Amino acid sequence: MILLRRYGTLVALVVIVAIFAIASPGAFGSVANLVNITQQMSLLAIVAIGATLVMVLGEFDLSVSAVVSWAGIASVALFGAGWPLALVFPLVLLSALVMGVVSGVLVARFALPSFIATLALGTVIGGLTFWVSNGATLFSGIPPVFRALGRGAILGVPVPTLWLAGVALVFWLVLDQTEFGRRLYAIGGNREAARLVGLPVRRDMVVAFALCALLAALAGLLLTARLGSAHPTGGGGYLLQAYAAVFLGMTAFREGEPSIPGTLLGAAIIAVISNGLTILGVPSFLQDVMTGAIIIAAVLIRHFGREGD
Amino acid sequence: MNPEDAPFLALTGVTKRFGATLALDGAALRIAAGSVHALLGENGAGKSTLIKILSGVHAPEAGMIRLDGREAAIASPRAAEAMGLRFIHQELNLVPHFDAVANGWIGRRHPRRGPFIDQRAMRARVAEVAARIAPDLPLDRPAKRLTPGQRQMAEIVRALMEPARLVVMDEPTSSLSEGEAERLHAVVRQLAAEGTAVLFISHRLDEVTALCADYTVLRNGRTVGSGRIADTNRDGLVALMSGGSDRRQDSASGGAKYAAPVAVADGSAAPRLSAEIAFGPAGEGIAFEAAAGEIVGLYGLVGSGRSSLLKLIWGAKPARGRISVDGAPLKGGIASRVARGLAYVPEDRRREALAAPLSIEASLALPHLSDFRAARSLPVSSRPAIRRFAQDVARRLRLAAASLQASPMTLSGGNQQKLVFGRWLGRRTRVMLVDEPTRGVDVGAKAEIHAELRRIAADGAAVIVATSDIEELIALSTRVVVLCAGRITADLAADAIDRGRIVAAAFGHAVTDVPPKAA
Repeated sequence: MILLRRYGTLVALVVIVAIFAIASPGAFGSVANLVNITQQMSLLAIVAIGATLVMVLGEFDLSVSAVVSWAGIASVALFGAGWPLALVFPLVLLSALVMGVVSGVLVARFALPSFIATLALGTVIGGLTFWVSNGATLFSGIPPVFRALGRGAILGVPVPTLWLAGVALVFWLVLDQTEFGRRLYAIGGNREAARLVGLPVRRDMVVAFALCALLAALAGLLLTARLGSAHPTGGGGYLLQAYAAVFLGMTAFREGEPSIPGTLLGAAIIAVISNGLTILGVPSFLQDVMTGAIIIAAVLIRHFGREGD
Repeated sequence: MNPEDAPFLALTGVTKRFGATLALDGAALRIAAGSVHALLGENGAGKSTLIKILSGVHAPEAGMIRLDGREAAIASPRAAEAMGLRFIHQELNLVPHFDAVANGWIGRRHPRRGPFIDQRAMRARVAEVAARIAPDLPLDRPAKRLTPGQRQMAEIVRALMEPARLVVMDEPTSSLSEGEAERLHAVVRQLAAEGTAVLFISHRLDEVTALCADYTVLRNGRTVGSGRIADTNRDGLVALMSGGSDRRQDSASGGAKYAAPVAVADGSAAPRLSAEIAFGPAGEGIAFEAAAGEIVGLYGLVGSGRSSLLKLIWGAKPARGRISVDGAPLKGGIASRVARGLAYVPEDRRREALAAPLSIEASLALPHLSDFRAARSLPVSSRPAIRRFAQDVARRLRLAAASLQASPMTLSGGNQQKLVFGRWLGRRTRVMLVDEPTRGVDVGAKAEIHAELRRIAADGAAVIVATSDIEELIALSTRVVVLCAGRITADLAADAIDRGRIVAAAFGHAVTDVPPKAA
């Protein structure tokens, strides 16, 4: 019981995997499929890692899905105009960084509620994306080298999985081992206390929002590389799923704080459910119903578990 | 109180305990119908607790409440309301975006027309009450755009919407201008003339003697005096509140006498800390100095500006003026003060000092994380370095924690306070600013925190301690500075520290027999 209370989310993942493995031993349980799941979760998890940074502050960034779409459309539009990859990739990331700085300044300097500031900014970015793309799917002019960034495998590990591993490692170190990470947790825990001991509260908040947008843009670039095309609402599904992953992750550990391992676990649960249900032939609308129900169950278990602490 | 004044409300033997603190210890209060009654006492004398018992927020552990001679129980705020008792609290309790009409009807059965509330009837009723006491109160303006005095009036209007027998006003004039205060006094007199008693809590003794007919003085949770204002005077009231002029008594630490201020190490003549800043309600200047080795006790009533002064020195609020440490002016914000060896312990540790997600050891390292790097040029924290520091601090302060990896919220109040102190122990402290060092802290931890403050001062820091606990002030300070409404009204050297003088200065009396030390 204590195990369930403390590591309930991890236990849930193991149980879900076990159920699918029993229900569909050949297809779900195969090594190839499990590797495939890591690839399926990778882009979602990268967006969710960015959202985690902002959640540590106790804030939301609702513009992440708009930034994912923007990065895809902006990159293909620039490729179409003949720009080289070496310029497009950093430029798109830079544009997202600027967007994140704007959110961060609105929230940290001008004290706008992050919910409103990033919802509005997301709407602006969405509009810009439609403007650049004329509402159409873009696919011409994408160089093959770019496509390799989101496809294929190295030594049997899918490239998106490698990206995720790198991003997760870097940001786990940032949140867990650096002074910046500790400051973010302090600011999220008590912003006034952080200010009163002399922490650079505003600067750190802006940096967190900027990194969140940067990771959303990276996910958008990798998505475009994988698909070979970009749609102006291509990132639409990431917002709710990313926050679902973060919330599931917050239930994973005793402290109930957002963390990179927690978010990875949350993203894994979402990916496993989606993959397993697809293999079992469950229609996608029922998958959504079950995903939502599982998230509610996980948070409820955590809630009642905490009361017992 | 004269026997012929039949009290309509009488409390006797009221006792209330919060944990280890005895907030009320047999307090008594008798209020005559239609009288204006002053409730007086120092900070922490038990006034607020007594009012909360009257308003049904707290239940007393012992004691009796009689209303019109019959024993009564005030089980809830609703019961107090039904008995005709009204409370106007220090923090105003209006809904900011509601106007006076909407505020007046909160919590009451609104008049209806069919299924809808009858706005016209609502307004008519409020206008009727307002016409009696505050005819010029704008009824259609949201409370947030009223002046403090108008807000006070809106609260009184709300209190009088239904027949009231007693209106309790907790420092109603502390945020009012002179003119607004006079206006309020007129309303108080009118209420009394209409037969509604007023229990008036104020630290302004001029106002109390001019306005009130009767008084009750609380000290340490006991009623130490009551009677007619006409039979006493300001000095008599001050003496009752302070309990005479007790000489200072050395605290439990064996009566150690305090070292004279330590000479500044670099031999310069500049004081450790000097501040000349715009301060107070009118923004006039305040000049303030502290030497190395001193523990300067900063005393004053609620609203005197103790906490604000520390926050200004700490850079948490923008200050106009000049603050210097060892003769060199402070520039920039809080971070630069940390770098210059200043330290600050805020008043409210939960709101201003602790962050739940950080472990105890991380909380201890928070203000100077860069001291705990694994490699000097990389902003990566070394856990072993942080842990060593945390273990040292825990040992030095006897911080009792199940685990240093736990959240600070798992600690007791005293240990939380030690944690907030412990943050600053890793480095050489030149100036330590402490706001309420031992609020909500048990006796043992209190002695340990006092000992630590003395050690920090002995190590050459200037320590400035703001406290509302006069016992602590007298036990700890090598010098006492008293603030009243943003001005320094006394600056008492060690041998002039005396309870009577401190209280008199806190209430704005000039301290005649001790000339303030030249700054």
